[in-house]
Amino acid sequence: MKNEHEMRVGFAGDNRKIKVDVPEGDLTPWDLDTKLESVGGRSDRIDAFAKVTGRAKYAYDINLPGMLHGIILRSPHPRGSVKSVDLSKTLDMPGVKAAVVMKQGERNRIRYVGDPVAAIAADTLDQARDALSAIVAEYEIEAHNVELLAAEGAPNLNENNISDPWPVPRPAARRRPADPDMELEVSEADVSAEGTWSMEVQTHSSLESHGNVVWYKKETDSAEIWASTQATFGARQALASALDIPQDRVTVRAEFVGGGFGSKFTPGEEGMACALLSKQANAPVKLMLDRFEEHTCTGNRPSAVIQIRAGAKKDGTVVAWDTRSFGGPGCNGRGGSTSHHTNYFDNAKHRRIHVDLATDTDASRAMRAPGRPQGVFAMEGMMDILAAKCGLDPLAFRLLNDNSELRKAEWQLGAEKFGWAEHYNASPGSGEDPRYLRGAGMASAFWGGMGGGKHRVTCRIHRDGSVESRNGAQDIGTGMKTLMAMLTAEELGISPEQIRVSMGNTNDPPGPASGGSTTTPSLSPAVRHAAGLAKQELGAKVAERLQVDANKIIWQNGHIGLQGGEMIPFQEACKLIGAEPIEATGIRQANYDGYQDNVCGCQFAAVRVDRETGLVLVEKMLGVQDCGLVINQKLAESQVIGAMIEGISYVLHEQRIMDPKQGRMLNGDFANYKIAGTLDMPEMEAIMYSVANGKNNVGAAGLGEPPSTAAPAAVANAVSNALGLPMRSMPITPDKVLAALHSKKK
Amino acid sequence: MTMNPSDPANFSRRAFLKGASVAAVGSRVGTEFSKGAELDKSSSILDKGSHPITLQVNGSKRELKIETRSTLLDALRDSLDLTGSKKVCDRGACGACTVLLDGEPVNSCMTLAFDAVDAEITTIEGLARGDELHPMQQAFVEEDALQCGFCTPGMVMSAVACSKRHGGSPSMDQIKNDMSGNICRCGTYPRVFKAIQAAGKEGGR
Repeated sequence: MKNEHEMRVGFAGDNRKIKVDVPEGDLTPWDLDTKLESVGGRSDRIDAFAKVTGRAKYAYDINLPGMLHGIILRSPHPRGSVKSVDLSKTLDMPGVKAAVVMKQGERNRIRYVGDPVAAIAADTLDQARDALSAIVAEYEIEAHNVELLAAEGAPNLNENNISDPWPVPRPAARRRPADPDMELEVSEADVSAEGTWSMEVQTHSSLESHGNVVWYKKETDSAEIWASTQATFGARQALASALDIPQDRVTVRAEFVGGGFGSKFTPGEEGMACALLSKQANAPVKLMLDRFEEHTCTGNRPSAVIQIRAGAKKDGTVVAWDTRSFGGPGCNGRGGSTSHHTNYFDNAKHRRIHVDLATDTDASRAMRAPGRPQGVFAMEGMMDILAAKCGLDPLAFRLLNDNSELRKAEWQLGAEKFGWAEHYNASPGSGEDPRYLRGAGMASAFWGGMGGGKHRVTCRIHRDGSVESRNGAQDIGTGMKTLMAMLTAEELGISPEQIRVSMGNTNDPPGPASGGSTTTPSLSPAVRHAAGLAKQELGAKVAERLQVDANKIIWQNGHIGLQGGEMIPFQEACKLIGAEPIEATGIRQANYDGYQDNVCGCQFAAVRVDRETGLVLVEKMLGVQDCGLVINQKLAESQVIGAMIEGISYVLHEQRIMDPKQGRMLNGDFANYKIAGTLDMPEMEAIMYSVANGKNNVGAAGLGEPPSTAAPAAVANAVSNALGLPMRSMPITPDKVLAALHSKKK
Repeated sequence: MTMNPSDPANFSRRAFLKGASVAAVGSRVGTEFSKGAELDKSSSILDKGSHPITLQVNGSKRELKIETRSTLLDALRDSLDLTGSKKVCDRGACGACTVLLDGEPVNSCMTLAFDAVDAEITTIEGLARGDELHPMQQAFVEEDALQCGFCTPGMVMSAVACSKRHGGSPSMDQIKNDMSGNICRCGTYPRVFKAIQAAGKEGGR
C-alpha cells in the first residue's frame, strides 16, 4: 500500500510541488515547508569528546588480557610462486604462540611485493618481529612488470599523446557501444582539440592502518572482534567464515574507525590471518598493519592515461566527446581507473572506451569516488582547452554547456563568492609579479548517493527520559552518529545531547557498508522512522493519561499533550513508561521517485606558481555542494573541505613510486609519500546548497565522494591558467612545472 | 645521547628528530651506551628482555617492564594502556603520537621509553580535568577540527604546545609552521587552525 502525498521540493532557483507515493507506515516526508529545529543546525559532533580526550577506542587501541601480537611475512618478490614455507624455527622463538602458512598448495601464487606468505603471533610485537626473520620461505621467481605503460596491450606515448594500439574493451566491459561515426564527429566540428592526461597511483593512507583484534574463545566456539572496517556486517561474514564458525557466534565492533576511504570493505588477508592465529592460539590476537604494508598491500587509487578528443560549434556548444583510456589497477584490481560525468555533453555525440591493464602490483580498491577524480581531471582540462579555442571564459563555457539547472545556480553563486573574475588570469601565462604566476580554475562535481537498502534502526525511550538510537553499521568519521542524534531529537522534539547513539556493533540492527556515499542517505530515513514509531507509542501513553484520543496529541517545545490544554514535559511523560523501555524498529523504505537522483557541486581554486622553484601553492579554494537536506551544516562543511584538501594533495603531491627492477614501492612511508600538510593549506570555504530532493522521509543524499570528484581538476586548471599551458600529468610536481616553463621559453 | 627538551631556546623539531634517531640507533647496536643503562646502578649492561622502569605520566608514577628498544609510544600504548597517542607511521613523520615531555612536544614513536624516565610526560589522557575539557580540546569540539579522529590526539597536543609557545595568540604562519609535523587524511587542517585561534590565551594552559 502506498499513499499519495504532495510535497514541496527543489532549491532556491526552482521549488515546486510534486506528488510522491509514500509507503504505508512511513512518516510524512520532510520538505521545503517543514520547519526543523535540530536538523539543519550546527551541533557539535557527538563523539568529539571521546576523540579529543583520547578515550575513543579504535581497533588499534584494544588491549586484552593475554593478547598476542600478529605479524605477516610478505613476499619480497613481485611475481612467482611460493615453493615452501618452513615455520619450525619460528615456533621455537621466544614468545611465539601461533603460526600459519598463507600460501600453499594450489594457492601459492605471488602477485605483488607484499603478497602475504605466512603469519605468526607472539606475546609482544617485538618478539613477533624477531620471529619473522626465522621463517624460511622459498620462492620460484618469474619476470615481472610494475609499470602501466610497459604492460601488455599498453599504448605508445608520442609527445604526450597516446596512440595505437587503441583500447578494445571486452564486450562485457563495454559501457557505451563503439561508434564508428565518432571519428567524423570530432573532425567535422567547428572547433576541435585533442589531448592526453595521465595520473599516478594514489594510496588511501588512512591514518589507522588496516587490521583487527580477533578473540576466538574455544570454550564457546565463538569470537569477539574489533575491526577497523567500513563494513561491520561484511567483516562478520568473512571472519566467521575464516574461523569456520556460525555468524551468530561472532560479534564485530567498530565503534571508531580511523579512516577508510574505500580501502576497508573487507577484513582482507590480514583479517583472515588474525582469525586463524587467534583460533590456533585460543587467545586474542591483535594484527594491525604497519605503514609500509598500508601503502603497499591495502589497495590504492589506480593510475590511468586518458585521451580525449572533443569538438564544439563556433558558439561554444559541445557536439562531440570521445574518451579512450587505460587504467592500471594492479594484479587483479577493481575500483575504477577512470570515469567522468556527462553534464557537458549529454546532448553531444559521445563515447567512452576504457581498458584496464594488469601489472604485478597491489590490487587497487575503491577510493573516494572511484575513477572519478581521474576522469574529471581530464574532462575539465579539456573543457578549458575547448573554451579557449572558442574564445570563451571557462565559466561562460560551462554555463553554456552544463545540463543541470542546479549546478548552473551553483556555478553562479560560487563564482561570485570566490571572486572568479578577480582571480582568473585573462592573459594566461603572464603576470606582473616577477616571482609568481597566478591563475584560477574550476571544475564540476557530480554523484548519485541517494541510498537505499533494507536497513533497520532501533529507537528506545526509557522511563528516566534517556533515549537510544542504534544501528550496527559504522561511522568512519563522516558524522553519522551525530546525524542519528539530530534526526532522533528532531522527531522527538528534544535536544541532540539527550540522545545516546550506538553504532559499530553487529549485535545491533543491520546497516550498510560505508561506500558510494550511501551511509547517511540509507540510514537517515530509518533513524527518523524508528524515532517516529517510538514517539507514537509515547504519545499513546500520554493520551491514555489525559484520557483523550491518541490522534489529538501534539508535540511542542519538548512537551507532549493537547493543543491549548495540558502539556507534559518529555521527561515527565517518560515516567509513564514501565521498566521495559519503548522500543521501535525503523525500516528503510525504498526511495520515492522524487525530485532529483543525483547531487551536483562545483569548485574554484586560485594558485600561485613560483617561477623559480616550480612550486605550486593553492592560495584560495571554494566549493559549493548540495547533498539533499543538509542535516548538520558544520559536519557537512567539514566533509567538503576535507575532500578539497585530499584533492589538493592528489593533484600536487601524491604518487606511488615503484622500482621497476625490484617491483617494490620506493616511497611507502609518510616521509617520502607526501600528503598535503598544514603548510599547503589555502584559505578555504565550503558552501552547502540545500535541496529538497523528495526521495524519502528525510531527503538526505551522500556527501563523502561528490566533492572529491572536482577538487584535483579545479586545482590543475588553475595551474594551467597560471602557466598558460595545459598541465596534463598529475601530480603537478615542481619538475613538471619547471619543464613547462622551460618549454615556453623555447 | 642526552638532550634537554625543557630548554625551548635550544629546541627544534628537527634537532629532536635527529637526536632521537641517534639514540635509537645507538641503543640497537649497543644498549650499554644508552641512557637507560644508567638507571640500574648495579649493572652496567642491560641484556635483552624486559627491565623495570618508572615513568611519570600525567602526574603519577607508573611502573612497567619493557625492553630497552621499546619506544615511549609502545610503552604508553601497550604497557600502560594509554592508547590516546596513536601509532600511524612509527617513524616520526605524522605527529599522531605527539606527547609533551616536560612541556615540549615530541614524537613518542621516536623517543625510547628509557630516555623518558626523567621527564614529566603529558599524554592526551592527561589534558582534561576529569570530564572538564582543556580549552584546546573544547575548541576542537566546537570548531569540528576532527573527522575520523585518529590524528586528533596528536593534533591537540601539538596545538597546546603551539599556543603555549606563542603566548596564546600564534599568527596563522606560526600555527601552520608549528603544526606542520601533524598530518590528517580527512582534511581537518583549516578547522584545526581555527580551533587554535579560538582557544586563545587558555589554549596553551
